[in-house]
Amino acid sequence: MRSLLSLAVLAAASVVSAVSVTGNRLLVVLDDVAEKESYSKLFGSLADRGFDITYDTPRSEDLQLFHLGERTYDHIVFLPTKVKALGPKLTPQILLDFVNAAGNIMVALSATTPASTSTVAFLAELGISLPQERTGLVVDHFNYDTVSASEKHDTLVLHNSKPVRYDMWDVFSLRDDEFLALPHTVGHTLGAGELLTPILRAPSTAYSYNPKEQTEAVDPDDLFAAGQQLALASAFQARNSARVTVLGSAEMLQDKWFDTKVAVEGGSKVSTKNAEFAKTLTGWTFQELGVLRVEEIEHRLKDSNETNPEIYRIKNEVHYQISLSEYRWDAWVPFNANPNDPPQLEVSMLSPFHRLNLAPEEHSATDRTRTYSTDLILPDQHGIFNLRVNYKRPFYTYVDEKCTVSVRHMAHDEWPRSFVISGAWPWISGIGATVSGFVMFCAIWVYSKPAAPLVKKTQ
Amino acid sequence: MAVAQQNALLGPPSQSSRTLLRVVILLFIAGAAIASRLFSVIRFESIIHEFDPWFNFRATKYLVANGFYKFWDWFDDRTWHPLGRVTGGTLYPGLMVTSGVIYHILQALTIPIDIRNICVLLAPAFSGLTAFAAYLLTNEMTTSPSAGLLAAAFMGIAPGYISRSVAGSYDNEAIAIFLLVFTFYLWIKALKLGSMLWGALCALFYGYMVASWGGYAFITCILPLHAFVLICMGRYSRRLYVSYTTWYALGTLASMQIPFVGFLPVKTSEHMPALGIFGFLQLVGFIDYVRSAISGRQFQAFLITVLVATFGIGLAGLVALTSLGYIAPWGGRFYSLWDTGYAKVHIPIIASVSEHQPTAWPAFFFDLNILVWLLPAGIWLLYKELRDEHVFVITYALCGSYFAGVMVRLMLTLTPIVCVAAAIAASKLLDTYLVKSPSQTSTSEAGEKKAPKSADKTASPLGVSSMVSKLTIVGAMIVYLLMFVSHCTWVTSNAYSSPSVVLASRMPDGSQHIIDDYREAYQWLRQNTKEDAKIMSWWDYGYQIGGMADRPTLVDNNTWNNTHIATVGKAMSSREEVSYPIMRQHEVDYVLIVFGGLLGYSGDDINKFLWMVRIAEGIWPEEVKERDFFTARGEYRVDDGATDTMKNSLMYKMSYHNYQSMFPPGKAADRVRGVQLPSEGPVLNTIEEAYTTENWIIRIYKVKDLDNVGRDHFSAAAFDRGQKKKATKKRGPRVLRVD
Repeated sequence: MRSLLSLAVLAAASVVSAVSVTGNRLLVVLDDVAEKESYSKLFGSLADRGFDITYDTPRSEDLQLFHLGERTYDHIVFLPTKVKALGPKLTPQILLDFVNAAGNIMVALSATTPASTSTVAFLAELGISLPQERTGLVVDHFNYDTVSASEKHDTLVLHNSKPVRYDMWDVFSLRDDEFLALPHTVGHTLGAGELLTPILRAPSTAYSYNPKEQTEAVDPDDLFAAGQQLALASAFQARNSARVTVLGSAEMLQDKWFDTKVAVEGGSKVSTKNAEFAKTLTGWTFQELGVLRVEEIEHRLKDSNETNPEIYRIKNEVHYQISLSEYRWDAWVPFNANPNDPPQLEVSMLSPFHRLNLAPEEHSATDRTRTYSTDLILPDQHGIFNLRVNYKRPFYTYVDEKCTVSVRHMAHDEWPRSFVISGAWPWISGIGATVSGFVMFCAIWVYSKPAAPLVKKTQ
Repeated sequence: MAVAQQNALLGPPSQSSRTLLRVVILLFIAGAAIASRLFSVIRFESIIHEFDPWFNFRATKYLVANGFYKFWDWFDDRTWHPLGRVTGGTLYPGLMVTSGVIYHILQALTIPIDIRNICVLLAPAFSGLTAFAAYLLTNEMTTSPSAGLLAAAFMGIAPGYISRSVAGSYDNEAIAIFLLVFTFYLWIKALKLGSMLWGALCALFYGYMVASWGGYAFITCILPLHAFVLICMGRYSRRLYVSYTTWYALGTLASMQIPFVGFLPVKTSEHMPALGIFGFLQLVGFIDYVRSAISGRQFQAFLITVLVATFGIGLAGLVALTSLGYIAPWGGRFYSLWDTGYAKVHIPIIASVSEHQPTAWPAFFFDLNILVWLLPAGIWLLYKELRDEHVFVITYALCGSYFAGVMVRLMLTLTPIVCVAAAIAASKLLDTYLVKSPSQTSTSEAGEKKAPKSADKTASPLGVSSMVSKLTIVGAMIVYLLMFVSHCTWVTSNAYSSPSVVLASRMPDGSQHIIDDYREAYQWLRQNTKEDAKIMSWWDYGYQIGGMADRPTLVDNNTWNNTHIATVGKAMSSREEVSYPIMRQHEVDYVLIVFGGLLGYSGDDINKFLWMVRIAEGIWPEEVKERDFFTARGEYRVDDGATDTMKNSLMYKMSYHNYQSMFPPGKAADRVRGVQLPSEGPVLNTIEEAYTTENWIIRIYKVKDLDNVGRDHFSAAAFDRGQKKKATKKRGPRVLRVD
């Protein structure tokens, strides 16, 4: 009965958690709660995916991100607000604490509203810089939407967007015939940090300027950024795998930009992929996509049944395997790593002694995990080693698993015996000769009759 | 003296009652030896002392829990993280095995005694045996029956030996001194009798000694030296040949059974004298044989040829083998025995140990008292007779005195022979003035109370046998001996009975106040940190952390890896930016330091700091420089005038972090260095304070994890303090991101 009950609880829990790995409480911070109507499709999609959405304004009295040290929300969406700072409930410190407590944040900016100082300070800590004076507008005189921005060229139309590196997961890529419209975009630049990854970069002909001050021309020294250095949407994944995304154009999430048709210069009108992009972006940010889970780690002596022993011997043959699964929207599926970039096993003490590719094992269609494994021979060095899988790839949550094992020296009775070593045979026979010689000498000594004294004989 | 008193009460005793008396007296001496070592247990508690004993204790527990073979193959993964230590193969197992055997015997006798108590009381118990061994050794030297008992009494209470054998001082020396003296006794016995049996026994105990203490090399060098001196004196005999070759062959085989020693006896220079004398003895034996076979003139030519050829070949072979690397040259510790400044220049790690410093002259008197001036008298008395065994005592005393003068710790090896020689001198004196009067032939063993009375009758006014001189000499001797006893007791009680884990101080009203910061800190570690939390501290505290806190350490008192120690030294003496990656690489979770500034405890890490710097400089002369820690005028300062390198070093920051908050503003003072500290305390970014004990003696810091959002710790800490990032209006080339 009890097991049935717990099973029911478990089932209920799995239904609730089916939405996102980290929880379903979503807070949307906007200027006016009524404003949510213009984003109804986006929030409708989120609600359909099981999120429990709360709308609030930065001025609200009872807005609280932490209660008794625990997060009260799992995810936050910041839409553009007109306030200069977000107030004492949403200071940069609190936002950083929220990320440190594994909460996810999506910041949507707009060129029409200056970003709040809190947001700027918060993003600056992550290594994301916004334009001076908190305002900026990205224009591109070659890739603009001729329908809505034929004059100002401030609605960018992107297509054929590829990941920044060929071996990355192409979750946000756009085909050549898929178009995104980004109206009134604020660009940002990324620091050199390895936790940051650009999602959308501006076309090489785009640049950012301040529409209030730089109305005539942009002095090259004052240029914020241009071309590929200018990111329009970026992802940040903290070391605890909490995710922060920055989107330069909040308006592209509005209903009207989901349905509208755009056209580049000389092209025909096509409908945008904004809705799909918004779904992917929110899904990734709120940990519905690209979440890796280590199901099981097993290492053992080859031909032994004892799993995960704490101590091995030098030069032991060891089998290591790790099972990984990936969360995709609502289910855990086997994780298939890029065959050119598989997870690797490090056998390290101070520095790695081995770094080995882990090969995927065969698996059936019903499996929810995929097992990666390798066989290795431990180094000829005793010490405390870490069997470590350090798999950190953009857009996937980090896998950093360390199994600490001691590798001991040869015990006194594990060396080959002397008679097995052919080089020792001369010495062994030497010992034998000495011993038998001594015994023979003793025997002769003991059993030989002493010679009669010479004097007696002569008599 | 004791025997004299006993005898006086009973009158002229028979042979059997004398034997009984001796046994009783020896038992009393053993009792006194044990009792005087119990001060620490009575004052404090039954606790293991100091540093090394904590490791021995831990190893013994492992032995008792896991059995001998596990112990033999023990790979210790809780020290020297992450290298680990092949403990079973790098220790002298004699001490632990002895305790283990005693434990199992007592268990078999159904006496349930805790292994800790066996460890605590092992040294006092063995001191009783040492007294007995000294008795036997002295009896081999002289016919005077009282000399042996005096030697036993001296041995039992001499502070030079007590310093390493009080209850709780569970170190190798606890049993090694007994083995040393007993091996020497067996050697003398073998030499006197020319007996293979005694030679084999000597080898057996030599093997036990090798299994117990690194100081076995002393025996390995003293016995050949003795043999060599005898040969040079023209005292070669069959007895010497038999006893030496038996000892050397069997003893070397026995010593090679210890994994830590292994092939050292045939590979290192320290063991070469024994091998050389072994060969030399064969040669001398052969020559001896030839001399009896051929004529005088031929023999002389033969002798010269053989001697020159052998020495030439032997020496050339030794040099060649050494330069080819088959024989290890003399070790650093050995060089420091000849040149006391050697270690300080070349091997700072050896010089940094206080017990490796040269001995101060008062220490001789402190540790030996009247025995110091009885020793030359005893040597002279032996020199007058100069039998083979007396040569041994003289050789030993000369070498021992030299070594004791070079290294504080070697006072221990000198003490036994001082006791023997002093007992011979004292007994000669007492025998002469108590019994050797012409009219007193019948009571040759008369006691002192009786002696003055009987001396009355003879009434000769002058000379040795006069009443006056007897009274004066004997009275003076009694006073000296009584003073010796009281000195020994005083020294034992005041200098050698502190566990140094617990500090004792006096309150203003005279009551004792216990400062228990060490155990407080170790207990905190034990209860509040993960089982495998790695603790970084200076190596002095490694064994204690392992024993009391049961946490893995980076370095400990078994200083086998100088580079690893230098790494810790570098982490302690560098800026945080340099230290942090080192600590991350070694997976350090906590850093433990000792700080005496608040209490005035002078043995703290700031005072040891220069050794850390020197040892680190030995490996990274470019990165750590001792000069940078001294001011321009060459002063080592911690106050406002300290150098920037000093102020930025991790050790300085950890020591004085938050210290200013204990005092009114600007009044912070360091009571060890006696200086006023800067009003602004140091700021730590990469580590945070985890625990500080009641008297601030131990401070524990936790190493922070990498920043969650990828900042460096300095900007993260600045952000937490509320400092805003400056709006950077950059000029010059832009920093572009490359994906």
